[in-house]
Amino acid sequence: MEIKNTAGEGHIVIEIVGSLDSTNVSQAEEKIIPFITDKACMVLDMGKCNYVSSAGLRLLLMIAKQLAAKGGWLSLVGVCDDVKDVMEMTGFSCFFKTYNTLPEAFEALKKGGMAKC
Amino acid sequence: MLRVDLHPTHVSKCGRYKLRPGKPLPFGATIVPGGVNFSIYSHAATSCELVLFEKHAPEPCANISFPEEFRIGNVFSMVVFDLDYENIEYGFRMDGPWNPQEGHRFDKSKILMDPYAKVISGRDVWGAQPDWKDIFQHRSRICFDDFDWEDDHPLEVPVEDLIIYEMHVRGFSRHASSGVKHPGTFAGIMEKLPYLKKLGVSCVELMPIHEFDEFENSRVSPVTGKLLMNYWGYSNVGFFAPRAGFAATGKFGMQVDEVKNLVKQLHKNGIEVILDVVFNHTAEGNERGPYISYRGIDNKTYYILTPDGYYFNFSGCGNTLNCNNPIVRNMILDCLRYWAADYHVDGFRFDLASILGRDQNGAPMSSPPLLESLAFDPVLGKCKLIAEAWDAGGLYQVGSFPAWGRWAEWNGKYRDDLRKFLKGEAGMAGAMAQRLQGSPDLYGWERRGSTASVNFITCHDGFTLMDMVSYNGKHNEANGENNSDGSNDNYSWNCGWEGDSTDPNVNKLRRKQMKNAVAMLLVSQGTPMILAGDEFGNTQFGNNNAYCQDNEISWVDWSLLNSNKEIFEFFRKMIAFRRAHPVLRSSGHFQNRDYMGSGFADITWHGTKAWNADWSGEAQTLAFMLCGKHAKGGKAQDNNIYVAMNMHWEMRGFELPKLPKSQAWYVFANTDARAPQDIWEVGEEKKLENQSEFLVGSRSVVVLIGK
Repeated sequence: MEIKNTAGEGHIVIEIVGSLDSTNVSQAEEKIIPFITDKACMVLDMGKCNYVSSAGLRLLLMIAKQLAAKGGWLSLVGVCDDVKDVMEMTGFSCFFKTYNTLPEAFEALKKGGMAKC
Repeated sequence: MLRVDLHPTHVSKCGRYKLRPGKPLPFGATIVPGGVNFSIYSHAATSCELVLFEKHAPEPCANISFPEEFRIGNVFSMVVFDLDYENIEYGFRMDGPWNPQEGHRFDKSKILMDPYAKVISGRDVWGAQPDWKDIFQHRSRICFDDFDWEDDHPLEVPVEDLIIYEMHVRGFSRHASSGVKHPGTFAGIMEKLPYLKKLGVSCVELMPIHEFDEFENSRVSPVTGKLLMNYWGYSNVGFFAPRAGFAATGKFGMQVDEVKNLVKQLHKNGIEVILDVVFNHTAEGNERGPYISYRGIDNKTYYILTPDGYYFNFSGCGNTLNCNNPIVRNMILDCLRYWAADYHVDGFRFDLASILGRDQNGAPMSSPPLLESLAFDPVLGKCKLIAEAWDAGGLYQVGSFPAWGRWAEWNGKYRDDLRKFLKGEAGMAGAMAQRLQGSPDLYGWERRGSTASVNFITCHDGFTLMDMVSYNGKHNEANGENNSDGSNDNYSWNCGWEGDSTDPNVNKLRRKQMKNAVAMLLVSQGTPMILAGDEFGNTQFGNNNAYCQDNEISWVDWSLLNSNKEIFEFFRKMIAFRRAHPVLRSSGHFQNRDYMGSGFADITWHGTKAWNADWSGEAQTLAFMLCGKHAKGGKAQDNNIYVAMNMHWEMRGFELPKLPKSQAWYVFANTDARAPQDIWEVGEEKKLENQSEFLVGSRSVVVLIGK
């Protein structure tokens, strides 16, 4: 797992590469938490993330809740079908707004289409 | 807050794991700051070892003995720090006496599952062949218990207002015709939510979803050559863990979240969830069975044993759980509280519940402590408690199950009497009158009202509704037991031809009999229960005991929804009718008098002559009228409802009771009429031209409302 911070149209874009599970969630959490600031709009680019375990999904939800508490938003981009499916079946999907591409996510953010966290 | 107990005090012998003394309660594995607290009870063990595996590994990665100072009383507890809790599987080794005559069967070579395991792996994908050489078949795992319920809460619908729909999780959507993305899973049920809403049921009762082993006693059928499995799952491996093989996400170990999400989504759609729970025995069988957990942890505590140390078999499955032992009693209570609080389930149906009222020698008790604890438990305070009030040891308690005003029962007498009346048996009018009123003859005592009666005509055990009108006898040959298994008391009638028929008259009569049955069920006081698939004529091809059939015999065939649309529509509208009319849903019994000054008693009985029911030994007809002003004991306002039942093979004219001048009779359902004129939408009932008599067809039911 690798965490990369890339800039994108004034939003915080963080790319997660590899799989996200209990062996690396604490590490991911440490790297992402500094970006959870007041009214932050965070986009997690998961196009290169092939697996998110139960612990990984919990980290995503925790980030979404912390952002919401500070008046910010979390969007997920490029979530692979398998992960999307698991999120759907286990109820995690209702907490995130997901988009296929980064431009789509930026467009939606511009229009204010946010998810309820 | 800084806490001293965040830090280890000991190191395991191998030097790899940091430890400290754990907390004895709660039992099981609990995530605590920095680690996991493991706690397990054994009265007779002399020592205990925690055995850790990396996920799916053939050999353990660690054996950590509980230091003697970590034992408090009869409980071994320990915190292990820095575990990868997502990828760890754990079990225990217990040392202690081997003395079967005294009830002890300790065997230190066996690795034992935690009785409080909240996730169990080993059978993660349904039907995937297990590795029989694996030294640890059913592995305890650590559970995330932080599901986000948002504002969900058990629905607490009054039991008399429920319409229960009994289903097998796998069978409900496994058939190719179900059209769901994840057939045979909890997720599959979720995909069928719009269907359940359309049908109108308000509660699903799931056949066992605790972890079981579908390969228990699996064998090839000598008749069909197919693999026979433990398909129904009335045989628990663990009581706290959901069945991984029923979860589409079981392979990722996310079954807990999948089940919780299903409950949450069902609740969002106004549908309650009742679990069928099996506390009468475990999957360990008798003295020849495997060591899974209980036998090796404290055999004498968990099982009812004969004086010479063999297993009593009141369950018919090899052993009997020692339900009224204080330790086991607490485990059952902990388990039910867990499912109620952590999974938000709305109630429980207890399989062979009479066993829960036997003492430690197997004798029935008059005030069983376990049943009393459940009746008064604060966490279970709003849960439905439903007993299958008999066991395989000959105890039959329908009408006499110790209830404390809390317990309802599967009313087996309702099923039998209704079936007899339906097939035209003479002299059933008196019994039917009781059943239609919520069986006051069985439950009219000790504050038990019609809410004590769960009315059903079919359930998983026995014929489906279609088979009940298509077969005179059971056809269980595929089970490989020479058709000797399954009940012989089916009170079924094949309508003139055994099995599938091309005769239009036979099929017409079968459709009518199914409509008659559901019409009578849904106008009866008490809580109705429908078997999934009956609403579109699902068949098990005459098999009345399909416990081992993981194939088309058991799977609900959704293509029948198209071919039997008429049956589905009849069910749907009858359900809507029941939901629209509170007069059908009293919690107490009728008083047979007019206490509202309406001019009518709450219930009145009629026959071919109004006000004159035929109670003779030859009667095959019965009619009754419910007074709408007495709905819910006078607390609700409703229409008058009149129901005429003619189970004679000839039509009969029924004189109608006269309504007050401002009202007239409207027909809601007439099973003799050709569809779609057989039943109307609620509110669209047709006014009768003849307000004084209704000609009820042969073997037909008519439902009228006065408005």
